[in-house]
Amino acid sequence: MTGLRIPGAAALGIALLLALPLAAVGDYFQHLLVLWLLFALMALSLNIIVGYLGELSFGHAAFFGLGAYASAMLTVHAGLPFWFGLLASAVVAGFFGLVIGYVSLRIKGPQFAILTLGFGAILHSVFINWIDFTNGPLGITKIPPPRIPLLGFEIRDGVPFYYLVLFFLLLSAYLCRALMRSRTGRAFIAVRENDVLATSLGIDVFRTKLLGFVVATMMVGVAGCLYAHYIKVITPGLFTLHYMAPMIIMVIVGGKGTVTGPIVGALVYVVLLEVLRASGSMRMLVFSVLLTLSVIFLPGGLVSLLPKWRGQGGREKAND
Amino acid sequence: MFWDIFLQQVANGLVNGMGYVLIAVGLTLVFGVLRIVNFAHGEFYMLGAFVTFFAIKLLGVPYLAAVLLATIAVAGMGVLANQVLFKPLRREHEFTILMVSLGLSLLLANGGEIVFGADPKYIPSPFADEAVELGPVFLTWQRIIVLVAAAILIGLVYLFIRFTTMGKMMQATAQNRDGAALSGVNIDWVHTYTFALACGLAAVSGALLGPTAVIFPTIGEWAVLKAFIVVVMGGLGSMGGAVAGGLLLGIAEALGANYISIAFKDAIGYGIVVAVLLWRPAGLFVARK
Repeated sequence: MTGLRIPGAAALGIALLLALPLAAVGDYFQHLLVLWLLFALMALSLNIIVGYLGELSFGHAAFFGLGAYASAMLTVHAGLPFWFGLLASAVVAGFFGLVIGYVSLRIKGPQFAILTLGFGAILHSVFINWIDFTNGPLGITKIPPPRIPLLGFEIRDGVPFYYLVLFFLLLSAYLCRALMRSRTGRAFIAVRENDVLATSLGIDVFRTKLLGFVVATMMVGVAGCLYAHYIKVITPGLFTLHYMAPMIIMVIVGGKGTVTGPIVGALVYVVLLEVLRASGSMRMLVFSVLLTLSVIFLPGGLVSLLPKWRGQGGREKAND
Repeated sequence: MFWDIFLQQVANGLVNGMGYVLIAVGLTLVFGVLRIVNFAHGEFYMLGAFVTFFAIKLLGVPYLAAVLLATIAVAGMGVLANQVLFKPLRREHEFTILMVSLGLSLLLANGGEIVFGADPKYIPSPFADEAVELGPVFLTWQRIIVLVAAAILIGLVYLFIRFTTMGKMMQATAQNRDGAALSGVNIDWVHTYTFALACGLAAVSGALLGPTAVIFPTIGEWAVLKAFIVVVMGGLGSMGGAVAGGLLLGIAEALGANYISIAFKDAIGYGIVVAVLLWRPAGLFVARK
């Protein structure tokens, strides 16, 4: 396993992603493409916790919100440039990830899920009630679009924004792949499958989990920042289960423990969201049926249907 | 004056806490006996409240009869959910079962929104408007019923588990499923009974607590979160822990809302559970492993 050559299927996928905006005519489809990639980035980060570490974090949306608020507040209130906000969102989300992970990861299973839910709810309460600092439920508006330094070129919506998010998505996907091919990644899988055995092999379970948790929270912090600068309005709603449930659905339906799974899951989510828009409240019903069915009948998610892709993710799959 | 307010808050906290206990006992039973972390538990609470509402509105039965009807109906729904979803998955990984229960929870909550409508509803109870004065403390009859009924029901569940044959079989299954099966315990029956009991209890709590506020199809989320805090605090699978955890949460929330800030009421509950889990990861009433 020397180097990280990009295999054929992945190269094809990347080429498709790069070419996709050419086929997307009109603002509406371009908007959907950007949304897809933003959701994919969120799902990819949750996948590190759910798919690789094998724990369920209900607090992941809170780190998404922290990233969004960190960047929005620095750019809107302090007038700092976008790139600084981006960096800050990763640092802030990662810092909270470190603190909360340090505390929560001593516990596993359902208690861990509830503990992370608790921390998420506390952060939500703080952001909704500390009105002087966060503007409370009204949130932050008029978030400026990202601006490229020197050139003064603003990345507004549509195709340019798509490529901006794509850059971070590919970077994160590469990071996930590299991580899982490394010694640390193999330790993740060992911890997921049997933490007692992993300990006996000399793996520091707590440190391994904490590392994965912090990487995941930094990633979702970046996703939050990009989301804030794309949608331009954020509220404390970002911290809640309304963003958490879709993330879980995307990871599980797409296929947990793989890099392509969450990206495919996000695509399914965005497409269904639009197809079912007219049916209103039926939408979440469809998603919950989808989640339940895929857990029961397709534990590997949609990507496990395509043997070709399974071959690509062979190393990860082999451990399942 | 200080003591009047303090006592009133403690009384309110006790009533809320008993409500939490009633919801949480079913959750902890299902975990203890079936090893299922049932995220859909709150949805059975919601169904209990709505079946009561519609029994009164459509069938015109009196409130207490509607409560009984809701309990039986929802217990049946719980058995159905167990047969269709959880029984076939018994040997699967706990993560799969957790996800299925999350799916069921979303399914019932969103299905409820379509069937019942998203607008808040009010269960008409003859006991909701009349208040009783106990020294400095005011309580409505409805809240007193919650307190008394919860105490009686939890006592009965305790006696059932402790002294009946089925209760003993439940204990045996909780201790060691395979061992119990080898000794001739019919595991399928034990699971069915446990689900019926747990969902029935959730439905009673929905039917009794429903008239103390308005009901809407997403209250299940609230109910299951409170129940989880209680159960995780007391120790998953421990009944005594659920009672202590529920009362602690109810009183802490009431006092916190009064003396700290009402906006942070929910955060106070989570703060307590975070503190408890850090101190004793397995919960207050479970022996350290």
